[in-house]
Amino acid sequence: MMRDVLAAFVLLNVVVLIVTYLTYVERKFAARMQSRIGPYRVGRPHGWLQPIADAIKLLIKEDIVPALADRPVYNLAPIVFLLPSLLIFATIPFAPGLGLADLNIGILFFLAVSSLEIVGLFMGGWGSNNKYALLSAMRAVNQIISYEVPFVVTALIPVLLAGSLKLSTIVQAQEGLWFVAYPVIGQLAFVAFIVATIASENRVPFDILEAESELVAGFRVEYSGMKFALIQLAEYTHMFGVSCLGALLFLGGWLGPGLPGWAWFLLKALFIFLLVTWVRWSFVRIRVDQILGLSWKVLLPATLVLLMATGFWVALGGGHVA
Amino acid sequence: MSLEAAAFWGLALVLLASGLAVVLSKNLFHSVLYLALALVATAGLFLLLQAEFLAAVQILLYAGGVITIVVFAIVVTERLVGERLVQTNRGIVNGGLVSLAVLIAIIIFVTRATLPQTPPPPPADLTQAIGRDLLTRFVLPFELLAVLFLAALLGALFFARKEE
Repeated sequence: MMRDVLAAFVLLNVVVLIVTYLTYVERKFAARMQSRIGPYRVGRPHGWLQPIADAIKLLIKEDIVPALADRPVYNLAPIVFLLPSLLIFATIPFAPGLGLADLNIGILFFLAVSSLEIVGLFMGGWGSNNKYALLSAMRAVNQIISYEVPFVVTALIPVLLAGSLKLSTIVQAQEGLWFVAYPVIGQLAFVAFIVATIASENRVPFDILEAESELVAGFRVEYSGMKFALIQLAEYTHMFGVSCLGALLFLGGWLGPGLPGWAWFLLKALFIFLLVTWVRWSFVRIRVDQILGLSWKVLLPATLVLLMATGFWVALGGGHVA
Repeated sequence: MSLEAAAFWGLALVLLASGLAVVLSKNLFHSVLYLALALVATAGLFLLLQAEFLAAVQILLYAGGVITIVVFAIVVTERLVGERLVQTNRGIVNGGLVSLAVLIAIIIFVTRATLPQTPPPPPADLTQAIGRDLLTRFVLPFELLAVLFLAALLGALFFARKEE
């Protein structure tokens, strides 16, 4: 019991630390893409203390609550938003035996818990009593309902191939060949997964709920200080969690020569994170109806067909079912 | 009191309190949030019964899906259309009578049922067992449910389409 609590404490802190520095990685990466340098002044070399400075700044900022806000809902929202993002790490195996709880239903747990995030987001949008925040939250609900279905369906393809919902078994099934390298099915599923990930993380080109030119900053517009920091932390934590999931489902998790397993795993998660960041800083935002149309008319039918094809392939003996 | 019993009573308390809050709260949006809490607590009860699969599905479909749609419906009707939705009414006597009848029915069922003293051991792989049963023993009700959902979907489409 005591050991589990300690392990959870260590894991949470490591995750938050990694996520704090992911913001730095993203800023540097984006800067380089645009021929800039990015954060440079705070800490030598290359401004490596910037994320810490940002956190301290946000901690000591004034906490403003709008007069007409729905106070309990407004105050609880950042916590409800952050909690699922942290919980998903409970089931992620970082290396063989290195993880909090390798559940039999690991992937289902991941999908279920991360679907709770929308409740926190909506509490923030509603509780702020601000039209921009509310519109943003509505767009978020629209988008998340639309993209959760293809996301779950693509996540099911590795499950079918491995014949298990347990994340560590899914990784072991990729011992010979990573799922992303499976002919046709693997690549298509991976692309669909990345698209669904970008949409479910509300990043450009699917960032209509943030849309700074229309909605100021979306559902978080009224938040300041530490509550704002929690919301940012939640978003990046969830992004990191989904990157980890992608690494486990398609890129063979901890498998790889030479380096220790956890290092391979983190590198692969970073690869997916950078892939999404790359898309984010390269494209322009698309319209609401285009986003919804893409999900229901293209992505969902395509992933369903892919799932059927995978099913046939596994039935013909192509999978890893024992 | 064992840890399991403590967890059960804790969850039961949360479930009852949030359930009451759903019907007593005057603010429709707060009701929905309490409903989300109640659904998550139900998932906790499933976990206590070692039905992890059911717990995860409960959260994914109810707390994640249904709540989202309910919230969406409220916002579209209340805040954007400007129509104030009233969700409490004065029928406390009728409501109480119905609740009492349901309670009595449940008590009768529970006392009449012969429950084993110790729970039967759950199958080794519950998920697999559920999947197998759904497609063999219970395939007919399963398919009927699918038809029902399809009918509901078509009904919704019918109401949502523009008048011609």
